[in-house]
Amino acid sequence: MQSSMSFTEQSVVFQKRLRSFTRVLSTKAPIAQTPKELVWALNKAKLYRYTPSTSAQRRHRVPLLLVFAIMNRPYILDLRPGHSFVEFMLGHGFDVYLLDWGSPGLEDKGMKLDDYAMVYLPRAIRKMKAVSGSDVFSMLGWCIGAILTTIYAAMRPEDGLRNLILLTAPLDFSNRNNITFARWTDERYMDIEKILDAFGNMPGEMIDYGAKALKPVDNYLTNYCKLWDNLDNPRAVEAWHAMNTWVTDNIPMAGAAYRQLIVELYRNNALIQNKLHVQNELVDLSRIRANLLTVIAEADHITPPCQSEAILTKVSSIDKEVYRIHGGHIGIMAGSSAQRTTWPHIEQWLSARSH
Amino acid sequence: MAEAKDENTRPFDPFESFRGVRDAYLDAMSKTMIDAVNTESYAQATGAMLDYYLTASAPFRESLEKSVAQALQQLSLPSRQEVAALAERFTNVEMRLDDLDAKLDRLLNAITAMKQADAGQPPKKTRPAAKRG
Repeated sequence: MQSSMSFTEQSVVFQKRLRSFTRVLSTKAPIAQTPKELVWALNKAKLYRYTPSTSAQRRHRVPLLLVFAIMNRPYILDLRPGHSFVEFMLGHGFDVYLLDWGSPGLEDKGMKLDDYAMVYLPRAIRKMKAVSGSDVFSMLGWCIGAILTTIYAAMRPEDGLRNLILLTAPLDFSNRNNITFARWTDERYMDIEKILDAFGNMPGEMIDYGAKALKPVDNYLTNYCKLWDNLDNPRAVEAWHAMNTWVTDNIPMAGAAYRQLIVELYRNNALIQNKLHVQNELVDLSRIRANLLTVIAEADHITPPCQSEAILTKVSSIDKEVYRIHGGHIGIMAGSSAQRTTWPHIEQWLSARSH
Repeated sequence: MAEAKDENTRPFDPFESFRGVRDAYLDAMSKTMIDAVNTESYAQATGAMLDYYLTASAPFRESLEKSVAQALQQLSLPSRQEVAALAERFTNVEMRLDDLDAKLDRLLNAITAMKQADAGQPPKKTRPAAKRG
């Protein structure tokens, strides 16, 4: 390229780009901006109600509870103004609640999936029902959040759960050749007790490394090249900055819950085979009767599609649907095309079932 | 014309000329690495590395923990375990408060229902103030 800019001008522009690059990498983007109020808290868990943006008359009667994974921050669902699933659903007349599990401390190392699904979640739901005045509700679980909501839906089928949405739900671990995590966490290679003896909880940095190592070149190189290439595009930089803020905000996972995830689910595949016991009770997936929408990301490396398909044959729900979309584990909900594809589909499916 | 002008005023990027080659290389490397990490040998190697790190660091970690515990004891300060035990007790207290909150909500609902029944109205669920319970 023959540039008319002098070398000095080019240096100035280059320095400006470099400063911008460094700023984006070293600062946090303003995220989770949608107004909300705290309605319940227990230990580290918090339940928020987002301020409705439509009048009570135009609002859907059935409130929606969002349940994200326990080892990531849930604000990926409300990433930034103009690109927020929460904002989108509020705009379409939903009464939206978000359960934030918080970051476990050493005192929480004994917390199991049982505690999350059957102690904290039912209490948060009780409060949501009291605040919304509705006995029925919808629940959206994403990733490990989908495991917890599935367990709850199977254990408390009479609790008023009308609609269950599972996003990239890792429920079936039978196809071990297609699940890289299953290979890595195999008992021949990974001594889980040694890790938990050393750290108590599973450190967030190790979880983050595991997720990134599935696609090492994309996560450690290509991602930064993309930022450099788009430095002159403020919208692209803003999107990258917000996503990077979320990706780098790692939290640990409670030790006992991590052990259960690896041993009972990844290794023994207990949940989908109806062999998982929670609080000494069998989790029988056939007890799930809520309307079910399961969203599968076709290019998901973290939860490959084969992990989310079998649930449809296990539940007793009459109204059930699978929605497949091209994209990755996070991209289908937080990527640039999410508001044209995934969000409208979820909104339309839920609207039809929320009166 | 506009395109030509645009080309001339585009900011200097030392990687511009390498971009095509770079992208092709990253693409190929990405596919290779995805396949590589999804092998038994990678799982075995990372498992062995983690195991070695945990085994090698265990004596240092244990001796550090002992020294810190002794220092805290001499300074009459609580240890990490003691603070954690206290936090657990706080959580139990919070659970009890949450149980009480649930009972209170049920009572309020019952009272409202009774009042409405007395007034000849169909029972309606109350909607408590949206505050932390």
